[in-house]
Amino acid sequence: MAVKVEQIEKNKVTLEIAVEAEQFTLAINRAAKKVAKEINIPGFRKGKAPRHIIERYVGKEYLANEALEPLLGPAYAQAVEETGIWPVARPEVEIIQAEEGKDVIFKAIVEVKPEVELGQYKGLGVPKKTVEITDEQVEEELKRRQERHAKLVPVEEGQVQDQDIVNIDFEGFIDGKAFEGGKGENHDLTIGSNTFIPGFEEQLKGAQKGQEVEVNVRFPDEYYSKELAGKEAQFKVKINSIKRKELAPLDDEFAKDISEFDTLAELRDDIKKKMLAAAEARANNEHRDEIIKKVVDNASVDIPEGMINSRIDSMIANLSANLSYQGVTMEQYYSYINSSEEQLRQNYRPQAIEDIKTELVLEAIAKKEGITISDEELEKEIEKQAQLYGRKVEELKAALEARGELEWFKVGIINDRTVDMLVENNTLEKKDSEQPAENMIENNE
Amino acid sequence: MRDARDVLIRPVISEKSVGMVDENKYTFWVDTAANKIEIKNAVEKMFKVKVAEVRTIKVKGKEKRVGRYVGKTPDRKKAIVTLKPGDKIEGYAGL
Repeated sequence: MAVKVEQIEKNKVTLEIAVEAEQFTLAINRAAKKVAKEINIPGFRKGKAPRHIIERYVGKEYLANEALEPLLGPAYAQAVEETGIWPVARPEVEIIQAEEGKDVIFKAIVEVKPEVELGQYKGLGVPKKTVEITDEQVEEELKRRQERHAKLVPVEEGQVQDQDIVNIDFEGFIDGKAFEGGKGENHDLTIGSNTFIPGFEEQLKGAQKGQEVEVNVRFPDEYYSKELAGKEAQFKVKINSIKRKELAPLDDEFAKDISEFDTLAELRDDIKKKMLAAAEARANNEHRDEIIKKVVDNASVDIPEGMINSRIDSMIANLSANLSYQGVTMEQYYSYINSSEEQLRQNYRPQAIEDIKTELVLEAIAKKEGITISDEELEKEIEKQAQLYGRKVEELKAALEARGELEWFKVGIINDRTVDMLVENNTLEKKDSEQPAENMIENNE
Repeated sequence: MRDARDVLIRPVISEKSVGMVDENKYTFWVDTAANKIEIKNAVEKMFKVKVAEVRTIKVKGKEKRVGRYVGKTPDRKKAIVTLKPGDKIEGYAGL
C-alpha cells in the first residue's frame, strides 16, 4: 500500500492511497462469495455459483463496488496510521481507479486536528481574590437557620400580624354575586407573602381568631383572568386560626438543638469555617477558569468545521438522552422552547467552539511541557476513582477498557495536571508589602 | 445439412454442468431432432475443437395444468460433449 499526503487547506489533507491489485482481486472474490450467498441464480444452489457466473449475473461494477467497501475502510485506517495525521471527521472518499488487475487508487479528503499556536501561557499573573467571611455574614447564616427551625405557634388571643400564617375560609363577590374561583376553605395564607391579590393580605391584619372580616379589593388590570381583571370585589373572610412563627433564641440551647455542637460559639466558628471553605473553593474555581480562559484566548486555533459539527452533534445527543429520561422527545422539546434543531445548533455553536479550543490548547500545552502520565500513576488514579465510587479496582478498570474510555480517563488526568501547572505558573503572588497596606486602611476606618 | 447454430441452442448453465467443465465435458441444450453425429460436427465447427464423445439425454416436458386444461412444456434434449484432451471451449458460460 502506498500513500501520498497532500495538504490542500489549513487543517485539510488529501490522502492518495493505492491498494495493490492482488488485494483487490482477493476482495472481489470475497465479495462474489458473499453475493452468491444472497442471490438466487437458476441452476445453482445458494452460495454455490462460481464467481464468473455471478459476475455475469450482477455485473462487474456491482461486484467491484461490493469489493471496495470492505477494502477502503482498513486501507484508510492504515494510511492514517502510517502518515500520522489526526483526522477529526469522516473522510470524503473519491475513487480514482478501481479495475481488476490494477491497483485501486482512491483519494480521501479529511479534516485533521488543527495546529495550535500557543500564546503566552505562563506568568500571566492572574490575581486570586482573597476571600473573607465577615461576622455579619455568619450572623445572617445563623438567622437563616433560626428561621428554618422556627416553630409555628398557634395564636389564640391576639391580632393578625405580618408574617403570620392564617387559615381562612373565603368567598368573593362581584356586584353582590359570587364568582367562580372566588371561594376557598381551610386555606393557609402567609401574610406578606403576596400570594393573593394586592391589598387582600393587608386588610386581614388586626383581625382576631374566629372573626369574620370583609375585604374590599380591586383585581389588578393585568390579572390573568380577563373577566375579573380590573373589577371591584368583596370577600367575606373567616379567620379559622392564626399561627405565628416563633424563633428560638440564639443561645447554646439552640446550637445543641440544630447541630452537633454544644455552644453557640462553636456553631459560629463552624459556620464561619464552612463558609470560608466554600468561598475559597468558589474563588479557586473562578481563578482557575480565568487562567484557562486567558491562556485559551492567547492561543489561536483554526477549528475545522467538521470538528465543530460533530461536537454539536454530541451535545444534542446528550440533551436528547437527558430529555428522554424525562419522557420528552426532541420534537416536543423544540415545540416547547419554540425553536428548531437549526436554531439549537446555532445556539450551541459558540460553546462548542470554546470547548474544542480549550481542549486543543490544553493538549498542546501538555505536549509542549511534556506532561504525561505513567502506567503506574494511571493505576493509582484508577484506584482512587474506584475508592471514590466504592467499586473494585479490577472492575472499574475492566469497565473503562471495555468501553474504550481508558484513553479518555488518561486525557482527563493529563488535562487536570496541565491545569494545575497553569494555575501554578499564572497566579499573581501577593507581595508581603500589600498585606499590611490593606490592614492599615482597615485600621483607619 | 442444418447449420451448427440450429443444432446447438445454448449451453446448459447449472452447478452440475459448470462442474463438469473440469472433466472436459461441455453440456448444451440441443435440437430435439439432432443426433450425436450432428452434434459432434456442430461443436467441432463452431468452437474449432475435436470431440471425443457425445452423450445425449432427452428431457421430457412437464405436464402443466391451467384449470381443467392440461398443457405440456416442450420436450428438450441435452448433449454432454466430451472433448479430446487438450481442447477446450473458451467463453463457455462466461468462462
